[in-house]
Amino acid sequence: MTAVAAFVAWIGGAVILVADGRRGLALGLGLVTAAIAGLAFAAGQHAAAIAVLAGGAAAAALRLRSGPPGWGLTQPGSTPRIILAIVIGILALYFATSLSTGDGSPLRFAWLVVIALSAARLLDCEEPATALTAAATLALGIGAVASLPPAAAGLAAAIVAGLVAAGISALPEVRPHGA
Amino acid sequence: MEPELAVALPAAGAAFAVALRPRPRLALILGAVLGAGGVAAVLLATPGAASNLLGITLSLSAAGRSMLIVAAISLAFVVILAPVNAERSALLRWGLAGLAGMAGIAAAPTLEVSVLVLLALVVLQATVEGGRPHARRLRAPAFAVALIGLGLVFARMAGPPVLERLAAVGLVAGLTAALGALPYMHEFDADERTATSPIPWIAFVGPVLAIVVITRTHELVPSAAGAVGAMLIGLGLLNIVWGCVAAWRTELPGAAWRYSFIADWGLAMCGFGLGVAEGEAGALLILYAILLTRLPLYLWSRQPMRERAQTDRPVNLLVAAALAGSAPFAGFPARILLLRAATSVFWPFALVLAAALLLWIPSSLRLGRTMGMPKGRQMAGIAVALAFSLALGLYPQPLLLLAGR
Amino acid sequence: MTPPALLIPIVLPILGAAIAATAGRAGHGIARASASLGVWGAAVAVVAIWLPVRSTQEISLGQLGFGSPFDLRLDMIGLVFSLAVLIPAATLLALQPRTWQENTVAGLGVAAAMAAIEAGGVLMTAVAGCTAATLVVIQLDVEDLRAPRPSWALLLAAWLALAWAGVVLQVVGGTAVYAAVPVSAMTVPVFALLAFASIFGGGLVPWRGWTSAIWSRTSLRAAGLAVATLQPLALYLFVRAYELGDGHYPQSWLNVVLAAWGVLVAFGAAARAQAATTRREYMAEVLPGLAGFALMALAVGSALGLIAALILTASTAIIVIGIALLPDRGGAPSLLVTAAAAGVPPGLVFGGRILGLGAAIEAGGAMGLVGLAGVATWLVAAAAAARSVGLPAGRGRSAVETLPRVAMMIGAAMLALGPALALAYLAASAAAADVMNVPALAQATGLGTIVTESTVVPVVSLLGPLLVVGAIALALSKRTGLTPRTGEPPPLFPLYAAQAAARIVNALRRAAVPSEYRSLFNPRALENVAAGGTPLLWLASIVALAIAVTR
Repeated sequence: MTAVAAFVAWIGGAVILVADGRRGLALGLGLVTAAIAGLAFAAGQHAAAIAVLAGGAAAAALRLRSGPPGWGLTQPGSTPRIILAIVIGILALYFATSLSTGDGSPLRFAWLVVIALSAARLLDCEEPATALTAAATLALGIGAVASLPPAAAGLAAAIVAGLVAAGISALPEVRPHGA
Repeated sequence: MEPELAVALPAAGAAFAVALRPRPRLALILGAVLGAGGVAAVLLATPGAASNLLGITLSLSAAGRSMLIVAAISLAFVVILAPVNAERSALLRWGLAGLAGMAGIAAAPTLEVSVLVLLALVVLQATVEGGRPHARRLRAPAFAVALIGLGLVFARMAGPPVLERLAAVGLVAGLTAALGALPYMHEFDADERTATSPIPWIAFVGPVLAIVVITRTHELVPSAAGAVGAMLIGLGLLNIVWGCVAAWRTELPGAAWRYSFIADWGLAMCGFGLGVAEGEAGALLILYAILLTRLPLYLWSRQPMRERAQTDRPVNLLVAAALAGSAPFAGFPARILLLRAATSVFWPFALVLAAALLLWIPSSLRLGRTMGMPKGRQMAGIAVALAFSLALGLYPQPLLLLAGR
Repeated sequence: MTPPALLIPIVLPILGAAIAATAGRAGHGIARASASLGVWGAAVAVVAIWLPVRSTQEISLGQLGFGSPFDLRLDMIGLVFSLAVLIPAATLLALQPRTWQENTVAGLGVAAAMAAIEAGGVLMTAVAGCTAATLVVIQLDVEDLRAPRPSWALLLAAWLALAWAGVVLQVVGGTAVYAAVPVSAMTVPVFALLAFASIFGGGLVPWRGWTSAIWSRTSLRAAGLAVATLQPLALYLFVRAYELGDGHYPQSWLNVVLAAWGVLVAFGAAARAQAATTRREYMAEVLPGLAGFALMALAVGSALGLIAALILTASTAIIVIGIALLPDRGGAPSLLVTAAAAGVPPGLVFGGRILGLGAAIEAGGAMGLVGLAGVATWLVAAAAAARSVGLPAGRGRSAVETLPRVAMMIGAAMLALGPALALAYLAASAAAADVMNVPALAQATGLGTIVTESTVVPVVSLLGPLLVVGAIALALSKRTGLTPRTGEPPPLFPLYAAQAAARIVNALRRAAVPSEYRSLFNPRALENVAAGGTPLLWLASIVALAIAVTR
């Protein structure tokens, strides 16, 4: 179950990395939210899971308001990003399962891919909506890190992450002067 | 409840200042009152004492508290003696938002929450209208947040020591990227408004962030302390050399100022990297000087830079002396502390550091000239900034005691 | 007087400077008076503090925060050097007109120099000394931005070196307070740092340093104050080094090297002086030459040498006033000041040099050879002084800032003070006792005789008649009109290497990265790479860091 959730997290991150349209971005954000919430729930962090779910769902819903229309998946030029998503997934798998020890490898894998894929998207986007989606994903990923053991303030981090993610998606788009 | 108020009151002040933009005077008064309330809360907060009013445990460390106080002082006198073409309420608005964010970063119970607050600030700043595209303004500081996040993930992983070292890489690189220091420099447009430029990260929010990240890093990955120190020193030296030389040789005066911040940060990073009390004290002094002297002087230099006014009068030379770290200004005791730390840890490094300290001079002379011929409020502001630097240079003990040194 | 009074000699010049600034901005013309009164007040205060007690007074005002306590101390060494700074500064501030900005900066610079001298530890001396140096540079730039001045980088490096020396003393010995440093902490590296600070902070170099170059400025108001402030500080550090080493330098060969360096400084000045083409160029080498002899004497390592150095330092402090007030023309003022500075008997400089060279020769061995070299240098300097009488004047100075009669009186006074050498010796030996063991023999000197290890010098009976004869000769001499000169007198020897050295220095200054390689260092290009669209540099840096720390 947790492995599935981890895989969903990777799919969600990969969708965000590849998608250019608001629907694709919202889908990716939704998948990541569901995955993180599921993993947090499975780890016994129920309240944190709810906080993440609420914030992420709001963020995903708000993403549908603005941005380029449509899904924007597999646009021309997206092949390198698909390859990058696969590479990141493999590397994260190596760190999470092979290099590190102990239970919770799906958790570790999920947090790695969510943060790495959102970072990769931030480095390779020009569209404000895409950048904000990546930032919201990043917020959820970081907030969920706190639920990794030992986690003393996981709930606080999850609540703040949910609020930040929702708040980021609620912000209006900004165009530069003269753009 | 002081930590909560330290976050909430400046945030409220910033929010009111935004809402009352059509009425700048009212915005200024209300923002000032709420900001002062926030500063009072910081002053009244006991270092290390936890507060759990909102279900989240907040507490301010001594160093973080001292940095918040210094940042508030800097904001206050920049607003009071605002540069001629700057709108006071706008300065206060952004300053209070930054201050609220800094309080949140400093008071947060874990590094994850601190970083989330940072991300919120990053996104807020990128949302303001500016010359550069939104995504590009967001890119560098958000990437910094991602790096810190990756560092946190590695820190939480159990396994071989290499994981802790990778965590250290993420945290240190993330901090460097958040500041906009080399090799993670943010894109910079010298003509851009200060509020939307990379300057707030390196000159206003950066000091508190650095204290929090470095303190938490030592708690999260104690066995990688050597690696953390080595990275900080290596990056610090890189920033010192490149920052000083670039500040001297770059074409644009505005870019020269940015590089001068980078050079100062290089020195602070070396101080933090040395891992002894004197080094940290020296680094704190450098950060105080950035907040109280270099940042305000940069703000007052913007108008003369636009007018291409460069002069060589006594005040320009005094500014150059303050920026160069010459006695009796704040940079000199900071350098003494750093030399002492370096000598006690590894004396050849002190030799390298001593040689590097001379690189500040040519760029400082250049930056001093960019102040032009100050008059009126600008002159008063420069005088206050130099007075702060003088006080810090002659008697830094009170601030260091405030920081728990 | 209570120890808190030790603050007065520092506070009064600051007060004077503050009043000068306030009054100057308000348009009142009292800046000059207030600045000079502040410094005069400090001079009076320092004597008033010392005289009733006649022993070391100290005060500790707590920690400053950078590892140095705020300790002030006034012993007799401090008194001598304080007066060496204050008297010329006060005189020049009073006699020469300056803008209120120059008066303010000058007053603050003197206050900083006083703080450096009164400081109880190395670190505080470094902070105050660096402050004084910075203010001197600002003062010179305020007067004339384009004129020669000391390299600020070199001055800052010098005082940073001293700060580093203080830091090393703290790390190794636990303290940098002069009176408390364990002798074992005063090692060769620490001494080397201190020597670097002194030599480059005071311009004590054999080549044409800033102490010579600043005399080529159009106005010499700031130049006089600069030398009067910074050169004594440089020598002061070497004197305190004796205290740090309990009367000795860490190794005896350091004494020889330093003494040789002093002779080289003096010889360099003498060589340039004898090849000078104008009287201004000659005058520019007088103070470096005096400083070189003082350094040589100081480095001998004996009480006699230190005493001679103190006498020469005090003499230099008076002569700097004369040189700063001299117009750029010949005549009695120039003749008397030149004679006094060149060490013509029976002047005080003559007496000081005799004692210093005697100390070196008394020490024997390598130091004796250094002493002989010093004698030869003195001969060259004397020849240069004699030649300078026939030199054309120079570029000329504004009459407002010169006072030829005062300069003449100073020259005459320095010559007339020669018979009082024993008195100066007594005072200097009391001061020297603060930092090293002064033999009872030296302390037994009377008012008319100086007793050393190897000889007895009856100064009054030797120099007194010489003074009388000289005065009679001067009184009987007739003024004649100036004869037209057909050219400057030839130098004793030409400076073959000087032009080549100057060419090399100019070539080094003009050196630049060849245009085809400038793109290797291009901040804009690196910035574009670092913050461009695909931040490969960021990712590469992360990988590099990861590899570096995980190896």
